[in-house]
Amino acid sequence: MSIPKLELVSLVKEYNDGAVVAVDGIDLRVAPGETIALLGPSGCGKSTTLNMIVGLEEPTSGDIHIDGLSIVNIPPGRRNVGLVFQDYAVFPSMTVRQNLAFGLVVRKKDKDHIARAVDEVAELLGMADRLDVRARDLGGSEMQRVAIGRTLVTKPAVLLLDEPLSNLEAAARLAMRRELRRLQSEIGLTIIYVTHDQIEALSLADRIAVMHAGKILQVEKTSVICERPDHVYVAGFLGSPPMNLLAGEITPGQGGATFSHGPLTLALPGDCVLPRGSYTLGLRPESLRLAPEAGAPLAGKVSLVEFRGGDVVVTVDIASVKLDVVLPAAERPVTGQAVGVDFDPDSLVFFGGDSSRRLDLRPMGRPL
Amino acid sequence: MIDTAPDGQTAPVLALENLTKRFRGKTALDGVSFSVPRASLTVILGHAGAGKTTTLRLIAGLDRPDAGRVLLSGRDVAGWQPKDRDVAMIFDNLALYPDKTGFENIASPLLIRKMPREEIAEKVQAMAKVLKIGHTLGRLPATMSGGERQRIALGRALIRTPSLFLLDEPLSSLDAKLRIELRAELRRLQSEHGYSFLMATPDFNEALAIADTVVMLRQGKVVQIAPPQRLYDEPVDRETAQAVGAPLINILPARLDPDGQAIRVAMWRLPVPGHLGPVLAAAPDGFELGIRPENLVLADAAGADLAGQVTDIEPLGLKSVLTVKKGEAEVRVLVESAAAMTVAVGREAGLCVTDPSMLHAFDPASGRRLTA
Repeated sequence: MSIPKLELVSLVKEYNDGAVVAVDGIDLRVAPGETIALLGPSGCGKSTTLNMIVGLEEPTSGDIHIDGLSIVNIPPGRRNVGLVFQDYAVFPSMTVRQNLAFGLVVRKKDKDHIARAVDEVAELLGMADRLDVRARDLGGSEMQRVAIGRTLVTKPAVLLLDEPLSNLEAAARLAMRRELRRLQSEIGLTIIYVTHDQIEALSLADRIAVMHAGKILQVEKTSVICERPDHVYVAGFLGSPPMNLLAGEITPGQGGATFSHGPLTLALPGDCVLPRGSYTLGLRPESLRLAPEAGAPLAGKVSLVEFRGGDVVVTVDIASVKLDVVLPAAERPVTGQAVGVDFDPDSLVFFGGDSSRRLDLRPMGRPL
Repeated sequence: MIDTAPDGQTAPVLALENLTKRFRGKTALDGVSFSVPRASLTVILGHAGAGKTTTLRLIAGLDRPDAGRVLLSGRDVAGWQPKDRDVAMIFDNLALYPDKTGFENIASPLLIRKMPREEIAEKVQAMAKVLKIGHTLGRLPATMSGGERQRIALGRALIRTPSLFLLDEPLSSLDAKLRIELRAELRRLQSEHGYSFLMATPDFNEALAIADTVVMLRQGKVVQIAPPQRLYDEPVDRETAQAVGAPLINILPARLDPDGQAIRVAMWRLPVPGHLGPVLAAAPDGFELGIRPENLVLADAAGADLAGQVTDIEPLGLKSVLTVKKGEAEVRVLVESAAAMTVAVGREAGLCVTDPSMLHAFDPASGRRLTA
């Protein structure tokens, strides 16, 4: 990567003299024109990170660079970063035109410049014919487009989006996602997108940084991260439903190694190279299938069937373990039914008991 | 007190008969009728403004209907106070006691009933475990996140044992992941204890996932009552088909060829599926074809049912949504992400219908699904 557009360097934010660590030393490089999603549950530190980039909060330590230059000592208004958040921050009594122009008016830009910039952004957002409508008469997604437009007219170096779609209804959210993808490709903005919703992250970002407890656990291309989560937390967060995770032990034996989790024991492939120890086994719901109880490696009872349209998510209770299995809707069992669960041994994934990192089950050089 | 009704055992826990409610001359509910069987989970699904909350408020006794009846376990409750109806209502906007801890908030309905301390502690701990809020029990609401407060409110309502729970978007302010986990927990709680739930939500995923029966509400009217799969496979009209399912169902203007041998869809030709043959013969002025995005697969452009240019690729993890366009017509198709790698925006792609028996025809004017 050449000079990143935005770089976070060992960024830390503590509160109450270090009693609370909201952001715990994160490093991130964002290339020009790239969209990165900061994905994690509420309280993971993603909004605090955003607030430090904008300048609403000061880092306890670490640095933030834009185009290679530190911005932490620059006041928020002069950092050239745009922030859009879920509460639209649109003036309801002003027209779309007045709202779009607002950021330039307060910056005392001349009239021609403002008119040109507003027209350009309105065109981009497909709102050229709505310029004289009052904001209070707009629908939710139009309102959010205006909010984004207000930021775009100031031509920010980096656009920060904090859950920008969470107040929209489902259909409007879908349309807005598509709109954002189009904007990205048309104007090549560098975007940091904060969300707790993996679908939004997957559909909009080039790369996803999964955050948990103030740390970035994995940064990976969107096309790869679901297939190859590198950390047990990421595996448990991504996917709908996410991977089934079982903490247990691998024990080598004469007939080959086995993995045990409480009363469950699974035979591992003969060429398993993982030594004795504690691991977490990952079983992807899409890799599991129902089988006759007799002869199946696992057997239990169906406790929940969630219909999703084209498919169903079946929860099978096996002793104290709940396994999610994704099946075509036509193959759905009924609640209470006794079933076996089978899988392809190649689909097993292991994470280190201590490191929580993904480990290769097989000798190096062989596909997992 | 409710079980004194002579027919209390056979009557559904709730029955609404022609419920109508107007606010300042505007009709919010227009002749709503449905019932909730005991120990079932019924979901009212509808957009904002459809009348979901109004329905729940009328059942709880917070508002009075202009016409129609609310029957609880077979008894007309007109004029009954909310507290006498034996229903618990859980709102999306929560009101907790700000000066009480999470524990005290959840325990409050039991304290009023003077339940023994130990029993209360046990129940509250069990509820906190289900709702994953054990860590907040000692804290005041002001120190909790929005999601934690919502779960405390949920816990306080669920710790009671009324004959009917009314849940108004109970999961709406939670994180996506937590929402999915908690809806499963709600479903378990409901089915294990044999509770009767009536839940309102705008989220079709939630409705499909946990409902026994979905009541589709639109502009104050019930448009369809069906179990999730039937609602999805046999929607009563175009709007219902569009309201359940993501990515959105494709709706394309179509007409039957004069010779009756093929369907003309935009610039494409499709074989006539058996179940639609007689229906379409009776729709000479054309119809709208509904194709679910998962009912299409990528195919060689030559010989494909539909072909066009890929205009958008939306990655969703293991699956991706492609948009394929030809002329004015656009089709969304759900494919494995690995398959999506084989195409690119701007390139040609072909699509084939997987299961012709799942194609729908809608009347363009009324939107109703055409059936034999």
